[in-house]
Amino acid sequence: MDARSITFVIRRAIYAVFTLFILVVLIFSLIHIIAPNPIALAKIYSGSPHATRSQLLPIIKEYGLDLPVYLQVLDYMKLVFTGNFGIDPIKDQPVIHLIAIYLPRTLEFVLTGIILSVIIGLFTGAYAASKRRKPADSTVKGIYLATWAMPSFLLAAVFQLFIAYDLKLLPPVHMVNPTLSTPPDVLAFPLLNALWAHDWTYAISLIHHMVLPTITVAVISFGVITRLTRSTMLDVMETDYFRLTLMKGIGRRKAIYGVALRNAAIPLVTYIVLALAYSMAGAVVIEDIFSYHGIGYYIVQAVYNLDYTALLGTTIIIALAIIIANLIADVLYGVLDPRVRLE
Amino acid sequence: MINEPLVEEGIANTTSSRNSNRGLQYMRLLVKDPAAIIGLVIVFVFLGWAVVQGFLELLYGQSGPAVALLPHNPFTYNLQINLHPPDHSYIFGTNTYGEDILSRMLYAMPRDAFISVLVVLSGVLIGGLIGVISGYRGKLTDDIAMRVTDAFLSLPALILVIAISVLLGETLTGLILALVVVWWPIYARFFRAETLKIKNLDYVQASKLNKVSFFRLFFKYLFINSIDPVIAYAALDFGNVILTYSTLAFLGIGLEPPIPELGSMASSGVGTLPTGWWYAIFPGLAILIIVIGFVLVGDRMQDIISNRINY
Repeated sequence: MDARSITFVIRRAIYAVFTLFILVVLIFSLIHIIAPNPIALAKIYSGSPHATRSQLLPIIKEYGLDLPVYLQVLDYMKLVFTGNFGIDPIKDQPVIHLIAIYLPRTLEFVLTGIILSVIIGLFTGAYAASKRRKPADSTVKGIYLATWAMPSFLLAAVFQLFIAYDLKLLPPVHMVNPTLSTPPDVLAFPLLNALWAHDWTYAISLIHHMVLPTITVAVISFGVITRLTRSTMLDVMETDYFRLTLMKGIGRRKAIYGVALRNAAIPLVTYIVLALAYSMAGAVVIEDIFSYHGIGYYIVQAVYNLDYTALLGTTIIIALAIIIANLIADVLYGVLDPRVRLE
Repeated sequence: MINEPLVEEGIANTTSSRNSNRGLQYMRLLVKDPAAIIGLVIVFVFLGWAVVQGFLELLYGQSGPAVALLPHNPFTYNLQINLHPPDHSYIFGTNTYGEDILSRMLYAMPRDAFISVLVVLSGVLIGGLIGVISGYRGKLTDDIAMRVTDAFLSLPALILVIAISVLLGETLTGLILALVVVWWPIYARFFRAETLKIKNLDYVQASKLNKVSFFRLFFKYLFINSIDPVIAYAALDFGNVILTYSTLAFLGIGLEPPIPELGSMASSGVGTLPTGWWYAIFPGLAILIIVIGFVLVGDRMQDIISNRINY
């Protein structure tokens, strides 16, 4: 990498840190607008709206809620950037530990779903572009518009009903067969743990339970990639080098899927992050329906229990995950397409 | 100085007449596409129903004329017919309490329409104000505003709305407020981009030389002339708000029992799978069809705005 690329990466990294910083300040000021005095704040931190004054006083001391606001912002920053989101009052464990358990489970099927949706999106988009203004083009468009408009709970419920309950092909609920014993936690991700321990029955059970959530994620998020691939493909197919490829006598199919698609795929890098953000939101509902105990399940539990500590912790961690993904995408885009670095 | 009012009137006239012509032209292009016509029909039926039924609900609450248009009373318990499968009397079946699902869906719809219109309109106004100012002033104002929108847009809207609405106490007002807080940044981006394009054009500079008040400059020149891409996106966005709102209702946020909600009906329906499939599927399908209506219209409008169709 030359000097220019390095400054590009550094500039993007500074932007990313700054964005996270503003998000934390926003959430902090929101809490303070809602709870303008230390007692109300302590109620939020304690996780129960009916706590007595004597229960609240130690919380005020512990979190320093009676200090001036600017000191509290600094304290909050310090806590967030050291990964200390407080203790979950319901599970009585640090929130960061719970997130460390739940987040990999979600990423496991969300990332697989994203990879699947990128593959579907690339090929449907290229296909639609090659059949421009023909019935096949409109069919592809109709399908992805329908998946855009699809509430994720409808799709998940339909899959659960037909594939799991009616056809009995896959298990309808849970993350793994509950009678199996869990392999030791070495690599954070349950599937990798099972593979590490050579526990094949556990791994196969995990994969069986993962299929429906993964397909749901892939179906709700491929539309944006199809649409973008189609439009960038149409741009590439107008270029001189693509015409030259055709004139050289390379078959149309090979030219479209080999030459044009390869060039049209570059701008997609940034859109994959968009699909990731979209699927993380979708995962909340998908996990609820399939009783899959990941970060979405944790969020739903926090909503039911009015558990603010857990909610703020997960919100910031998800934001962090997406900001990092964005940064990687930006850098990757810069590496793949040198023109971007010149901006 | 003597012709100052004339100049201004002249500009105002040409812009307004051009706007109305353009509006007609867009409509004509819009209805050339059969998919967009389907979308328009869905949207008009949905909004029409929402206005009629919404007024009845507003005036009469949960009884009398408010339920007169529905096939059954959506609030009558009848445990003898609980989870009654769909037939000619209960077209979409009944739920676990024996309440008619179709009636409950129809009763719930005005709320979705009201919330989506409210959230998108406030998003356009707040986003318009911030976007136009940030694009017009530039420099530090612009930097700060854009970093803030970045922070909002870095998170999926749903997760931020969940966090904020839970902080606000899981009430319907809190939920609407949370949606409004989260929904403006994308519009600020649109307005900023458009303002940057037009702020150095002659007519804006001329109005500045004429010492037009900021209020007038904002509404008459910058806001109105930036609105084309915003309208196309907003048409699609009504559907997004309905999707987000029903997902929140699915999670149990912002409910006001006994008033039904499409998302929460689907949520209770999932609990009755696999026997009571109609309870989960039909409310979900209703949301799907409504959102498809908005998506079809919005998609066609975006094609028109970005000149991607053959005239």
